[in-house]
Amino acid sequence: MLRNINWSKYGLVIFTIPLISLIVLSASLANFVAPYDPYALDVMVMLEGPTKEHWIGTDELGRDVLSRIIYGAQISLKVGIVAVVIGGTGGTVIGIVAAYFGGFIDNILMRLMEIVFCFPAILLAVILMANFGTSIFNAMLAIGIIFIPGFARLTRAIAQTVQRQAFLEAAICLGVPGYRIVLREIFPNVAGPVLVEATVAFSYAVLLESALSFLGLGSQPPEASWGNMINTGRGFIDQAPWISLAPGAALFATVFMFNLLGDGLRDILDPKLNE
Amino acid sequence: MFIPTLITASIILFIAINVVPGSAARAVLGLQATPQAIKRFEHKHGLDRPLYVQYVDWAGKAVKGDLGTSFQNSVAVGPEVLKRIPITLQLAGTAFLLALLIAIPLGSLAGLRHQKRADGLITTIATLFGSTPNFWLATLLVYFFSLKLGWFPTGGFTPFREDPIENIKGMILPAISLGIVSSGLLIRIMRASVIESMESNYVETAKAKGAGDVRLLTHHIFRNSIIPFLTVGAVEFGFLVGSVVIIEDVFRIPGIGSLVLVGIINRDYPVLLAASMAVTVIVLVVNLMADLCSQLIDPRQVRTMER
Repeated sequence: MLRNINWSKYGLVIFTIPLISLIVLSASLANFVAPYDPYALDVMVMLEGPTKEHWIGTDELGRDVLSRIIYGAQISLKVGIVAVVIGGTGGTVIGIVAAYFGGFIDNILMRLMEIVFCFPAILLAVILMANFGTSIFNAMLAIGIIFIPGFARLTRAIAQTVQRQAFLEAAICLGVPGYRIVLREIFPNVAGPVLVEATVAFSYAVLLESALSFLGLGSQPPEASWGNMINTGRGFIDQAPWISLAPGAALFATVFMFNLLGDGLRDILDPKLNE
Repeated sequence: MFIPTLITASIILFIAINVVPGSAARAVLGLQATPQAIKRFEHKHGLDRPLYVQYVDWAGKAVKGDLGTSFQNSVAVGPEVLKRIPITLQLAGTAFLLALLIAIPLGSLAGLRHQKRADGLITTIATLFGSTPNFWLATLLVYFFSLKLGWFPTGGFTPFREDPIENIKGMILPAISLGIVSSGLLIRIMRASVIESMESNYVETAKAKGAGDVRLLTHHIFRNSIIPFLTVGAVEFGFLVGSVVIIEDVFRIPGIGSLVLVGIINRDYPVLLAASMAVTVIVLVVNLMADLCSQLIDPRQVRTMER
């Protein structure tokens, strides 16, 4: 019955889903939604403030800022998804392997993860980018690698508690093969928390990509990425603050929405918190 | 535990910096460099040796305080790093202090009012703070407080000894940019910590014995909440020190963070390695100090360690 559902638990998710859909839709339909070509120069309207034609004004080359923000969302979402897939898959595999085999393998893997984890993420990202070379693809890879320890620690902790449960002992006694135990018993229990972690990691990936591009180590101009736009806009902040501040606001809103979604999913998936 | 972690961390950094062979020579000599010139450069700096030999060589010298010389201008890296550490520490320390000043009261309040309206509001504020891109916040602050209002400089650094007031003025906007973002996570940690100790038996006992709200908070809840808060908070300090790389760039502060960027832009590996090692050492030392502090506050931890 609908009436028996505790709606307050779903509040955050219900609140964030429409806004996130708006961001995702406008990014994926950028070709249709964006009013202008994000790379089209127009010297007649350089550094123009918000007008009827250009809702958020134009930048130093007369490009439409709104269109560039919409195309920038595409880059941010792409980096976020790929980085989370890399980090999530790598971390989950390492975490489950560590928990399943235990002993020496567990010790080595988790020690290593712990040490990588204690590096500030942005420092590692910056160093990896300097080595890999600056491009979107490398940013995805670097950010994905940084996420591996977080996912590994989480997965291992849950897998270990699952392994102590009676149903797993029963499965082992029944002679269920190892790969089935991992796939049918351990993995489904890990999936929920990993999903929550993935949402938060996604927003962090978007933030990290922008930070890298801001430092000139991620996507390169003239590519319309938020970090890029914030950085180049700083040079014109006095005459045309919107060039820098508007993409930053889009970044802020996106990160905030995905973090709220993560909070909301945690409320739903972790019933202990709602007692 | 500290020394092995430090060694492993330095190995990881060394590998991370040297993953792509040959890029240093090309970056320093330019794209037009002949293969012979690259070979000569690599031989001169010992880059043609196997990676583990290079590492052992570097580590052996680093222990004696020699962090190598810059590829770009042959200046010794060690003194440069030492000169910059206090600047970064001042910035990160001020920012962390600000984060604590925001997080401890707000987090405690949210914890005490668990599941009430204030809790929901503060948790949302924490998420909002934690979601702020620090470099954007910095740009925003510079726009309003430096350019429009003219209260603070747009960047740069004045040593404290030269002009204390200018020094502090220059630190305020960078510290806010870093501190606000860090306070997001710290509020959550403080809140969780307070909630946990409120549910414990000793708080029930104290309540049953008739302890008032204030006494309950200061003597029973707060002291027990601050321990987990400190250890987890130290990890957040690590993140904050990492973010220094961006904020020092925005405000043109000559600390360790901007040295990391200088090292990267010039592919100056000795500089990059020394600077990122310095950041790592700061993070590790802070974590160690947090462990020691929590032992001072909670003597039980020492006893379990001795067992």
